[in-house]
Amino acid sequence: MVENIKAFSYHIGWRNRGRHPGRHASTQRGMGMEFRGHTTLLSYPDPRRIDIRQTIRDPLEQVYVRLFNQKSATPVYVICDLSGSMNFGAKTRKIKLAAEIAESVAHSASQNHDPFGFIGFDEVVREDWISTSSFKSHRAIAMAESLKDYHPPAVNCGGIADVYQYLPARERSLVFLISDFHMPNVMLEAALSNLLRHHIVPVVLWDSAEYRNLPEFGLTNVSDAETGEKRTLFLRKELRDKIIESFESRREEIYQLFMRFDMPPFFVEGEFDADMLTEYFHQFVAA
Amino acid sequence: MAFSHPWVLWLLPLAILPLVLQRSHAKSYSWVNMLPKDPLSDLIGLILKILAVFTLLFIILGLAAPHTLTQKVERTGIGAQIALVLDRSASMDDPFSGSNDMSGNTTVGETKSVAAARLITDFVKSRKQDMFGMITFSNSAMYVLPLSENKKAVIAAVAATSGNALFQTNIGSGLTSSAGLFDKVPDSGSRAVILLSDGAGRVDADTQQKIKDWFDRLHISLYWIVLRQPGGLSIFNENYKPQENQPLPPEIELYEFFQTLKTPFKAYEAEDPKSLQSAMNDINEREKKAIKYLEKIPGRDYSNICFAIAAFMIGLLLGVKYLEVKTWH
Repeated sequence: MVENIKAFSYHIGWRNRGRHPGRHASTQRGMGMEFRGHTTLLSYPDPRRIDIRQTIRDPLEQVYVRLFNQKSATPVYVICDLSGSMNFGAKTRKIKLAAEIAESVAHSASQNHDPFGFIGFDEVVREDWISTSSFKSHRAIAMAESLKDYHPPAVNCGGIADVYQYLPARERSLVFLISDFHMPNVMLEAALSNLLRHHIVPVVLWDSAEYRNLPEFGLTNVSDAETGEKRTLFLRKELRDKIIESFESRREEIYQLFMRFDMPPFFVEGEFDADMLTEYFHQFVAA
Repeated sequence: MAFSHPWVLWLLPLAILPLVLQRSHAKSYSWVNMLPKDPLSDLIGLILKILAVFTLLFIILGLAAPHTLTQKVERTGIGAQIALVLDRSASMDDPFSGSNDMSGNTTVGETKSVAAARLITDFVKSRKQDMFGMITFSNSAMYVLPLSENKKAVIAAVAATSGNALFQTNIGSGLTSSAGLFDKVPDSGSRAVILLSDGAGRVDADTQQKIKDWFDRLHISLYWIVLRQPGGLSIFNENYKPQENQPLPPEIELYEFFQTLKTPFKAYEAEDPKSLQSAMNDINEREKKAIKYLEKIPGRDYSNICFAIAAFMIGLLLGVKYLEVKTWH
């Protein structure tokens, strides 16, 4: 199962405070390589770290030890939208794509010895779709696997406002927020304000059938996957152009909104390529 | 406008079902708000719903079978109801009175009954739109044929009048029977009794009153064709002086009585087949006046039109179905 999952490499541009040894820069003193400073043997009684050069240079003849920062593990979370609109998708339903991304993230976190957690939400945060943070990613991957066959009912995504309560309150985490973000800007802004403590990577899932791969010509009825609102569409070139235009402006709108929160969005359309996510981290996150 | 099955109209509320129920085959779309407003699409959606509503409406209306009520239209036409009252007395088998040949000698020509039968047959044939009834009488009336449009029956009846006969002439009975022919038949506006007799008989006062009342009530006009006996009295003879201490001859008495009728009366005297024919022709002309009658026109059924409209709309909807997108999702 795990063999098929493609991992990506990620890093964070900040220091975490995790005590658990890991791969990321940390503020935690410990058995790391990163020199932090000196202190007296009395305050840090570790004779292995006695710095002889510093000790003999001290006129007060105190014994000094060297301090190092360890590398710590950073909690990685996937917060996944399970609302009705995620059921959409021409080739692959968005929810399935989201599950693939979650699996990839879980696998990558496992490779980096980071704990991984999964939180699903629709109208509310779904307690049955929560996998608590763990260094063993199997449970989360199993959950993502079952997510592939999940058909969301027609519910909205109001739970995004409460999702911050399920993240560690004191520890900054790397959070992949997977959704199509088909929600009002006000709701999204309110939710993002509460998530500012964490490093958010918004993964925007759109499907080309939503706007670019519309049928050429014909009549169709559409109903909203969440509200059930009905519309009749007479698809023709004019309307298709307008729809594409509407989605492009929405893309720009979301981009501007995320950039105000300093969270560059990662757009996924139809297919998820883990390498692109690696690229994303190289581009937007200072090493 | 009326409905054959008005109770079906209780189903009319079903017609708003397309507005209430949402189309189940609607494709799920992630976020309808993202779709820009498109007036044309909205208009088409509205038209389709209205089309569906009207389709159901017309089907239900068609099931209720609307139709217009029976109309009565006044028509004018030619056509009379004529009762033939023929004398069957034995004297009818005598030849006409004044049938003279070219040399001036009195000859035995056509008998009265044969001439009458021949001319009446012609008369009947020439009147295409009339109803004929027939009574013959001698010592009493014989009911032969009710008023009917069947020409063959009339002609056969006329042909059947020839034959052995009795010697009496009971005109009163013949006339009352002829009035009875009209009793239960709707009035066409032109009713006549053609009384063909030779000589006359006496009609008692009761019968006279009866005849007068019935002819008046049933609007029957009377044509009397007298086939004059040789040497007989002419009813038109103004020089005739009634003999004292003697009752009036029956012809004169009957003629005077007929003139007191409230309905039109015309008498003819025929001495030979030619004059009989002219008398018949005169009657023919007189009874040609236009008559007005009400014709019933049955109500028109509109259910088929309703179904046709519904079928047309269903056709349109099917056409739209053909336009429907099938290659999405």
